[in-house]
Amino acid sequence: MRAEAVRAGPATAIERRPASRTSTLYLFALPATLLFVVFVAYPILWVAGQSLYIRSGSGVSSFAGLANYVTVLGDPTFWIVVRNMLLWGVITIPVQMLIGGLLAYFIERHTHALRGFFRTMFFLPVVTSVSVISLVWVQIYAPYYGIAQEYLKHVGFVMMTSPIGDPKMAIYALILVNIWQWTGFSMLMYIAGIANLPSEVLDAARVDGARGWRLAVYVIVPMLAPATKSLLLLGVIGTLQTFPIVHLMTGGGPNRASEVFGTFIFKQSFVLGDTGSGAALSVIVLVVALVLSLLQIVTLGARLTPAGKERA
Amino acid sequence: MTPLARSRLRSTVIHLVLFIVLGFWMIPQVYMLSIGLRTPAQAFDAALFTWPVTFDNFVTVIRDNPLGGIFLNSLIVTVATVAIVVAVASLFAFACAILRLKGSLFLYTTLLTTLMVPLASMVLPLAILLKNFGWVNTYIGLILPYAALGVPFAMVILKSFLEDAPRELFEAARVDGCNAWQTYWHVALPLVRPALVFVTIWQFIVTWNEFFLALIVLTKAEMKTLTIVPMQYSGLYMANPGALFAVLTLIALPLILLYVLVQRAFVRGLLAGAVKG
Repeated sequence: MRAEAVRAGPATAIERRPASRTSTLYLFALPATLLFVVFVAYPILWVAGQSLYIRSGSGVSSFAGLANYVTVLGDPTFWIVVRNMLLWGVITIPVQMLIGGLLAYFIERHTHALRGFFRTMFFLPVVTSVSVISLVWVQIYAPYYGIAQEYLKHVGFVMMTSPIGDPKMAIYALILVNIWQWTGFSMLMYIAGIANLPSEVLDAARVDGARGWRLAVYVIVPMLAPATKSLLLLGVIGTLQTFPIVHLMTGGGPNRASEVFGTFIFKQSFVLGDTGSGAALSVIVLVVALVLSLLQIVTLGARLTPAGKERA
Repeated sequence: MTPLARSRLRSTVIHLVLFIVLGFWMIPQVYMLSIGLRTPAQAFDAALFTWPVTFDNFVTVIRDNPLGGIFLNSLIVTVATVAIVVAVASLFAFACAILRLKGSLFLYTTLLTTLMVPLASMVLPLAILLKNFGWVNTYIGLILPYAALGVPFAMVILKSFLEDAPRELFEAARVDGCNAWQTYWHVALPLVRPALVFVTIWQFIVTWNEFFLALIVLTKAEMKTLTIVPMQYSGLYMANPGALFAVLTLIALPLILLYVLVQRAFVRGLLAGAVKG
């Protein structure tokens, strides 16, 4: 297709030159498009295709239809993963919103000189390397010499073993680490929302007698809905790509009890070398992410970016 | 109590509560530093603080490990990725918001879907692609996929800033005889500087700390970045937590320091982005 001059009228189009010159303007859009095609679109199409093939021991691929999907869905580990991912999202997202929102509210509305200090300190876990964080928390949870069991027994909470070594506790122990790491991000999103609340509305609410908690709950919380929706959307995508914390702290164990999509894909693809089921899993995660995201964007009008200015 | 006294009391209580919460929040980081500062005899003490402190562990791990080279790997990958993301995303945002090229809105929407793709579903195909390109254990093998995954976010931010910029400026540039490239360089980029700073810092943090793809692409010791080396140190220093946590502290430190330095500009960009919500 030949590029043509933009016809949006003089008020909108900057460049109104002959068609031959306009085509060079497409160079502005070319690099981004190329990167997308080679490193996003092509891999997705490839993995979708590959999920339909089975590679035999001799390395020959043969078309297998949906056999890989049947295998994956029949694997009990898959359903452990689904349960863990549900727990992860359902616990992490609201708890981070709640703590992050409370921190943001008190920091923005009740501190002045120390505002920058609090904003920065609570955000530090986000910028701390996740692999460092994981190893520190392994140490915290450790039996005998970890500080969690040492200090928690003073408040009547006795831990005999490391919670990440216990199949029932492991996923919750990992979720706690994840919440700790990312709450600062929720806080910052709400800080941006609170800092930009129109002061006329707050003044009007105050004149109407809304103060303190009533002001916070009935006026501020509803007005922060855009930030909340973005956090929900980012939280769902973030949940589905969970990997480093689990890989480094439990490796999906014990006995696969804390397996998540990331570690499951990693094991199938790179440890077992089963690219067929690895590909099928990748496609499942991708489809779940796209469906959940589009659902939120359509029904809630959720936005994908923290700086919530994006227009449709 | 007078209203003034009451508000002062409330402010004190809120500050006190925030400091207590922060104290708990900082435990992991304080604990990391504290273990790094211990003598071998205290290393396994189940306590947050021990006394006396020693810097021996830091001296040992700096002397025994090629941390400088690993740091350099991280720096090369991150700086190159950030530069590509900022350049490519701003060009694309300019094409969409200012030039309004035909078809650019469709492309924009297509590229946006990248933001909904979890990296977990991309590692397998990307690993195979990079293997076919012969890019395993190369900087470029990480830089280009990182850039491709980072561009859409930067592009959204930059596009919305450009759309909010006064169009008369771009009109004036055209009347003055600027071509599109000159307008991009001399008008558009200076106008969206807070957004460029914000995007640069965020992309820097994300790239510096990326783990999953780096784990798969970088298998050779001399290519590894800071995020993927802690694992090998946890094996190496299993019996010597003091040294392990000294190394972890050193690995975490550069980005923490950098963030503290730029946090003001970062938050300013974030606030400016939301201001016309």
